[in-house]
Amino acid sequence: MSTTEKRTLYELIDVRHSYNDLFTLQIPHLVIDDGSAIGFIGPNGSGKSTLFRILAFLETQSNGSLLFDGFENPEPSSIREGITLLLQNPYLLKRTVFENVSYGLKAHGDTENLSERVHEALSWVGLPSDRFGKRQWFELSGGEAQRVALASRLILKPRVLILDEPTSNIDRESVSLIKDAIETIRSTHHSTLILSSHDQLWLNSLTDNIYRMHDGRIVGTGTENIIKGPWNPDVDDLWSKTLANDEKIFSTQPPDKDSVALLNPSDIIISNVKQSRISAQNMLQGTITSLMLSDEFGKVTVEVELHGISLTCSLTQHAVNELTIFPGKAVWVIFKASSLQW
Amino acid sequence: MDYIFNGIIRAFELLLTGDGETYSAILTTLKTSSLSISCSLAIGTPLGFLLGYLDFPLKRQIRAVVDTLLALPTVVVGLFVYGFISRQGPFGELGLLFSISGIVVAQTILILPIVISLTATAIEGLDRRLRPTLLTLGARGKGIILSSLFEARFAVMTAAITAYGRAISEVGVSMMIGGNIKWHTRTMTTAIALESGKGAFAMGIALGIVLLLIVFIVNGLLVFIRRRY
Repeated sequence: MSTTEKRTLYELIDVRHSYNDLFTLQIPHLVIDDGSAIGFIGPNGSGKSTLFRILAFLETQSNGSLLFDGFENPEPSSIREGITLLLQNPYLLKRTVFENVSYGLKAHGDTENLSERVHEALSWVGLPSDRFGKRQWFELSGGEAQRVALASRLILKPRVLILDEPTSNIDRESVSLIKDAIETIRSTHHSTLILSSHDQLWLNSLTDNIYRMHDGRIVGTGTENIIKGPWNPDVDDLWSKTLANDEKIFSTQPPDKDSVALLNPSDIIISNVKQSRISAQNMLQGTITSLMLSDEFGKVTVEVELHGISLTCSLTQHAVNELTIFPGKAVWVIFKASSLQW
Repeated sequence: MDYIFNGIIRAFELLLTGDGETYSAILTTLKTSSLSISCSLAIGTPLGFLLGYLDFPLKRQIRAVVDTLLALPTVVVGLFVYGFISRQGPFGELGLLFSISGIVVAQTILILPIVISLTATAIEGLDRRLRPTLLTLGARGKGIILSSLFEARFAVMTAAITAYGRAISEVGVSMMIGGNIKWHTRTMTTAIALESGKGAFAMGIALGIVLLLIVFIVNGLLVFIRRRY
């Protein structure tokens, strides 16, 4: 536990941002502390990239206030200096790897020991400077290009490092190297990290808090599962959503047909056998896809793939041992209809 | 047919023996076309960048006018510039008529729309992620302009070469503004027109060969640069 007092870096109040009435980002209130590591998770089109562009001062919100370091809606050009954003599909300049990585430093007029610093930044992302420095932008694989783009940001040692799905479409080895690189720069420079990914376990391993986004809104904090509609009226005053294998997820009455339900991971029970005579209305077949030690002492985060949706559960280490859970194992997922919150 | 073959043989004689009149036309052409392309790039590249990069009222209308001017007839430019720099014209006192400077001014006007339009197209065609990438890497103002142009360098080079090709091969402007004065403002194209009219094919063919050679070299250079990157 850090003894230093938390200092607010970003504060968003009633922020709204629209694109031609087709999409609206709505953030009633969001605080990001200086030096913290915040993750955002959510499906494509949920508003993560739009929020990141606003946080990087590339776009100005249509309404509301954005306070940065206590200054309300500051002039973007004066603030961008210490903030860098890695776009979801990063663009490499049509130059060599060395020129790409050194571009930012040159743009800031900071060219002291340029070669050494480029060499160091490339080493953070696992690309030896002597092998990659002279390569042209088109001579790189997708993962290498992603790592060069990341090195171009890390070399700036930014105050705020915003990474929009830095691991999308890249191999497992690159994912691991990118994690190491981010941890290196955070441990040495204490940058504030704002990060998004579809990989919740990977996100968990790098961030202090995770926000879930859906349809332009932050719909939950922590690791709540999101279950999207449509919901249809069913038996006993319950509503249901039908999965790909015709199994149903039962819920209490939603606010509307297309509402998003939140399910707390600790409300989910995993069983090796189908249970009978239980009060919970939801008992679904699933397959364990991954296990990861949770930040919470004694807990393990387990991901289960149902037919069309993926749920994250929080189990004790004891339960994992008892149930002999491993990736690929078929299990039953049990939770109450009333556990689904709106 | 003999006169054509004889003309080709005589053309090589003129070139290989360093005929003064032939080389004077070659040098004048290189001088005027090089100066006009330099001026049009200096003026046209920033204007093309602004036209392609910024959104402003009347942008589409201005773009339509510039695109229309791509097909500007050389004689119309010649006539227009002649009116301005002739003795009675507003710039008559500058003494540009029948001078190399006059040809350069007119050729610059002729090829400026090519540079502006093709540069604007090149900038419009740049990846939409470029601007946020440059901004998040810390580029500002002039740095964004230069980096964007550098990203579009092959397309901008194509614009320059297209414009150069138009300048070096035009006749109307050089004839009307330069006056086709021997040893002074006679260019390769005006010399070819004059000599062919007189039935003297040799010099026309010799200059035609050099013209083609220059165009091939310039285009070859572009192909080489494109292959290298």
